[in-house]
Amino acid sequence: MAGTQESVQGDAAARFERDALPFLDQLYGAALRMTRNPQDAEDLVQETYAKAFKAFDSFTEGTNLKAWLFRILTNTYINLYRKRQRGPLETGTDDLTDGQLLEADSHSSTGMRSAEAEALEQMADTDIVEAMAALPEEFRMAVYLADVEGFSYKEIAEIMETPIGTVMSRLHRGRQQLREQLRDYAIERGLIAAVAEGEDS
Amino acid sequence: MSCGNPHATPCAEVRALVYVYLDGEIDEAHRIEVTAHLQECTPCEGIFARELVIKTRVREAHGAGSAPEALRTRVVAAIQQISIAYRND
Repeated sequence: MAGTQESVQGDAAARFERDALPFLDQLYGAALRMTRNPQDAEDLVQETYAKAFKAFDSFTEGTNLKAWLFRILTNTYINLYRKRQRGPLETGTDDLTDGQLLEADSHSSTGMRSAEAEALEQMADTDIVEAMAALPEEFRMAVYLADVEGFSYKEIAEIMETPIGTVMSRLHRGRQQLREQLRDYAIERGLIAAVAEGEDS
Repeated sequence: MSCGNPHATPCAEVRALVYVYLDGEIDEAHRIEVTAHLQECTPCEGIFARELVIKTRVREAHGAGSAPEALRTRVVAAIQQISIAYRND
């Protein structure tokens, strides 16, 4: 029954476009943060949609299509693009350890923290984006999925194919490093003084 | 730096929950404990406020970009092409 087959395939494409295309802007935004390059981001998104359409049979209607698409995006990125990029796999073991970061923060005064919060309010979007881009990849993706896309821990765990505990640890470490980076920017921009540490208020 | 006052839940325990609290991933019992603590502890409140600012700024700074129109066209064309290839199988 070639005729029936044809209309079924046509319906699948129409249904896929109707359901999946509305996520184009969000997928492109995430792809841009992954690849840090508009051309690669476009290629990545196109490849993601092609794979998703081919696998659309395996998607259960009524479940989380956005998370499913983000999972394919993440997998495609890891398989196709990360391999080409220069340098070793980023593991986030550089810079300060968690303990050091927490220790440093526990000595900050209340006044210092509120000055930091105020500086963060004034900081340019481009500084925030740059600080995020400087994070190790797995931390950057976890923070992006949580804070920009609003995914739950469970959804991020599915997207990144990792246990929830790992998601929480990536978010924790990513945010600590991000905060340190933003504090440095705030000092460089003269938004907070470098020497306010330690005094309590 | 803690405020030095006694609390039902120690500062260290509350601070360890900062992200699950702000991410809305905390259970109800802990959420109530943390909220009560923040009302009486300025240093912890300051930490939570600063982390919330960072979370909000990250969202705003990356928000609401659009994909290039040409990409939409490319994606639709790719889907059609796959669909046709399937039909001709």
